[in-house]
Amino acid sequence: MADTSTRTLISETQLNRPLGRALYWTVLVLVVTAFTLVFLGPLYWLVTGGLKSTQEVIQNPPTFFPEQIHTETYAEAWSKLNMGRLLFNTLYYAFGALAFQLVFDVAAAYALSKLRPILGNVILGMMLATLMIPSTVLIVPQYLTVLDLPLLHINLINTPWAIWLPTVANAFNIFLLKRFFDSVPEELLAAAAIDGATPLRALWSIVLPMSRPILGVVSIFAVVNVWKDFLWPLLVQPDPKNQPLNIGINSLSIGVPQNVVIAALAVASVPTIVFFLIFQRNIMAGLTSGGLKG
Amino acid sequence: MTRDRLLRRTVALAAAAGLALTAAACSSGSDSGNSGDSGKPAASATLDPNTKVTISIDCQPPTTKPAERKQWAEDVAAFNKLYPNVTINSKDASPCEEPASFTAQLKGKTQPDVFYTYFTDLDQVLDADQAEDISSYVNERTVPALKDIDPSVMKTLTSEGKLYGLPTTNYKMGLLYNRKLFKQAGLDPEKPPTTWAEVREAAKKIAALGNGVNGYGDYSATNQGGWHFTAELYGLGGSMTTEDGKKAAFNTPEGKQVLQNLYDMRWTDNTMGAAQSLKWPDLMTQMSTDKLGMYIGAPDDITYMVQTLKGNYEDYGMGPMPGGKGALLGGADYMFKKGSTPDQIKAGIAWVNFKWLTMGKGQFDYARTKADGLPVGLPQPFLFGGATLDADNKAKAASATVPVQNYAPYLATAVPGKTEPANAQQIYKVLDGAVSAVLTDRNANVDKLLSDAESQVNQVLANLQ
Amino acid sequence: MAAISVSARRKTEPPAQANPSQGRAALRQRLRRHLTGHGFLLGALLCFAYFSWYPMVREVIMSFQKTKRGRTTWVGTENLERIFADPDFWHAWRNTLLFTVLALVLGFAVPFVVAVLLNELRHAKAYLRILVYLPVMLPPVASVLLFKYFYDPGYGLFNAVLKSLHLPTSAWLNSPTTSMLSVVIAATWMNMGGATLIYLAALQGIPGELYEAAELDGAGLLRRIRHVTIPQTRLILSLLLLLQVVATMQVFVEPYLLTGGNGPQNSTLTVVNLIYQYAFSFNNYGSASALGLVMLLVLAGFSALYVRLSRTND
Repeated sequence: MADTSTRTLISETQLNRPLGRALYWTVLVLVVTAFTLVFLGPLYWLVTGGLKSTQEVIQNPPTFFPEQIHTETYAEAWSKLNMGRLLFNTLYYAFGALAFQLVFDVAAAYALSKLRPILGNVILGMMLATLMIPSTVLIVPQYLTVLDLPLLHINLINTPWAIWLPTVANAFNIFLLKRFFDSVPEELLAAAAIDGATPLRALWSIVLPMSRPILGVVSIFAVVNVWKDFLWPLLVQPDPKNQPLNIGINSLSIGVPQNVVIAALAVASVPTIVFFLIFQRNIMAGLTSGGLKG
Repeated sequence: MTRDRLLRRTVALAAAAGLALTAAACSSGSDSGNSGDSGKPAASATLDPNTKVTISIDCQPPTTKPAERKQWAEDVAAFNKLYPNVTINSKDASPCEEPASFTAQLKGKTQPDVFYTYFTDLDQVLDADQAEDISSYVNERTVPALKDIDPSVMKTLTSEGKLYGLPTTNYKMGLLYNRKLFKQAGLDPEKPPTTWAEVREAAKKIAALGNGVNGYGDYSATNQGGWHFTAELYGLGGSMTTEDGKKAAFNTPEGKQVLQNLYDMRWTDNTMGAAQSLKWPDLMTQMSTDKLGMYIGAPDDITYMVQTLKGNYEDYGMGPMPGGKGALLGGADYMFKKGSTPDQIKAGIAWVNFKWLTMGKGQFDYARTKADGLPVGLPQPFLFGGATLDADNKAKAASATVPVQNYAPYLATAVPGKTEPANAQQIYKVLDGAVSAVLTDRNANVDKLLSDAESQVNQVLANLQ
Repeated sequence: MAAISVSARRKTEPPAQANPSQGRAALRQRLRRHLTGHGFLLGALLCFAYFSWYPMVREVIMSFQKTKRGRTTWVGTENLERIFADPDFWHAWRNTLLFTVLALVLGFAVPFVVAVLLNELRHAKAYLRILVYLPVMLPPVASVLLFKYFYDPGYGLFNAVLKSLHLPTSAWLNSPTTSMLSVVIAATWMNMGGATLIYLAALQGIPGELYEAAELDGAGLLRRIRHVTIPQTRLILSLLLLLQVVATMQVFVEPYLLTGGNGPQNSTLTVVNLIYQYAFSFNNYGSASALGLVMLLVLAGFSALYVRLSRTND
């Protein structure tokens, strides 16, 4: 992260003038207040909504504080919606997908960037073309494919593979990785080759250590994508025992009182927020790293 | 969408379920005895209890419905006492039918052996060629209540003379109203309006209560506006399409009356409030918070308002569909996967019959439903006529947990049921636009909206040929 | 994208092949490099082949087919003709363009301004960054439900706040005039974190001397933004712009979950929502595929044009 001494749009001297200082603090206070309201406010609503009674949640006008605290709503949401199971499934799918993407997409990006095999550019172009087609359109042919993989004749429905493997076909991540690997100096690899290092070894001991920030970015995207996906897991995980949070809550919320649903969503938001707070340093470093610079 | 509504309805309805083991054991024992020497082709015979067969079936109640789920398990156990060699493989999908998974399953031929559909799904299932013709398996012996099932229901499950499904539940739409607001407005809660002129007058009185209370409400988004337009048109005796389903038939004085009436309530009387483009479950939310006097809906909306929105049964009443010439009828059923063996079909029919079509058992075991804390006494399902209906009403009254007299106006008037048009969703979508325009545009031209909708629907139908 | 990757490749082209006298050895070495390269690509290639390319081919085939009563037949361009005849076709494209424009004004400009602002603040940096990124991490069902709840004309928070300030209330999602804007606001809240942080990264890459030099030339705040900040971040801005346009044109989840897909008087019906309806509500998979194909062509055309324009600008 940029250290504070870096010169930005406004210079330190300007800020140190009395007027500059007053302006700066006003802006700071305004920004902090506005951001807290805009981004934390809705979360407050989510958490307190789960504490209200059913009638209070749909009351007009709304209340800012629950009239009576109903903590049992959370317990009800947890047990009725089977949230422990849903949470576990989500994490299982997310981190499995992450592992597959890190292995296959990094290898592919490395090949496209440094090994540049024949037809590499055509392949990259074909990968990027997949960004142009809405996934909603492909969902039925994809489903038919997963039911019976051509040539192999394996049915992946109700297995985690149905979620893990398709995530590898992520052109955006491969593109990001390739762009970053492009910036690793060719001479380093040439030197390693002269020392007899295999391409795999060069990847492992030269390229990867230099690419930590972009690996962080790709990891976040990988996890968040699985976390957020809706239509696909709905189709390939028909068994409620195997469903991730998004699907589970959405389908089980039918006919469940609104306050219980809100409580369930509040619980569902907790793991990501915790995950995010624990890794925020890495995540931020990754997202704001040079990998994405023009 | 109708589906969204329905699936909620059905989850609530899967509630009712029954045992009465001894009686069941006797009757089916004699059945199977007869079938052995009847000499008919195997297809017409009932299931031989000695046959070993496994069927998968969906729409088992989810964990969020513990009482219904328990009843399902009890019923499977009871069924297995009669047919010990039938293995029922329950799939607890919630919702029972979700459009995207349903389409994908039909394309991939991965639906369960006995699969849940809505009445309006028959065309889609047949286009995918995914249901077995069960005509030769369904008779007075396999489904004893067959002759009392509403013929209009059986018609929705029949194509070109072949039967493809057995119903499990259905509903007829009517006028739902808030009895509390009726009393406050000086209206008689025992005498709900039965014509649109009366609805208008009552709406004026209710809206006059002020405090953001609307007299009447209606949907106008996500195809539900088109759905309600259809229901209201049926009430006046109209039809959405011609008999052969090839042309629109709603650009008539009745169709005009439906739109004009909504326009008048919205803009002339100002009894519908400014917030429009409502969709399921907005009207129920409004009514359960005493902000809405009347709307058209199905009986199990009441269950939703009580169980999910925590309203009170005492506050809601139901009357017949205004106009009284016809009531939109919808519901759900089970079909049998293409390629099932005759034994699987027989076992499936036996289970559907046991769970959903036998008085005193499955969903009609009202004593158990009451004991499990679920509501008894709502006028739904509405599958039967004749002797079965009488028996049902008697049994229901004996275990009623809800104020049955609140639905007397609805039950007292026999409004004939009328099913939804073929390709309903596409037609509804067009009419959605017309209803929405009438409710959001003060300068809406009813005649033009109707004739535009007519030509659009004609085009949609022509494209389907 | 393509333009950028091509130019990047040129820069890193390996040194010219070694000695011509060792031609055969070099050839063998090259062959080896190609083989290793494809070995590394294999896993991703298989996944693309199975889960993207093959389904794409199937989709194209399906767009020329029709299934009636269990029989699948070739129908030529009938599916295409049908979608063009549907009045909702143009409607959906208009809405999609409107969404894209609004989403760019909000989803592109807002994160940029926020990033510039955050980059200038010396305090509470980590806190603010976490806040901006937080919504991205929320399950979308939660965000959507929250906004539905805020927008509700009856018990919603937004109207309650407006009322208490004696301002006119709005029907938000329930009015054909404001529904799309409401969807965009919700979508921006849910997704702006990613873009903001990427801009921040780009801003931090601007050499401080440039600002100093501009200041010495007497450039004020706005001129510094115009002549230093924007040109310096142009490449990343244009890349993100392309990606955002391609992604926002495919918008589905937000209008689907917020308004059920159509919205009042079809005001939030987007192209992908129409595809979804054809496929899953109207039992017409052929038309859904045909519309998907049209979408693919439009987006590919747009990308090609964009890359062309940005190249001539260079």
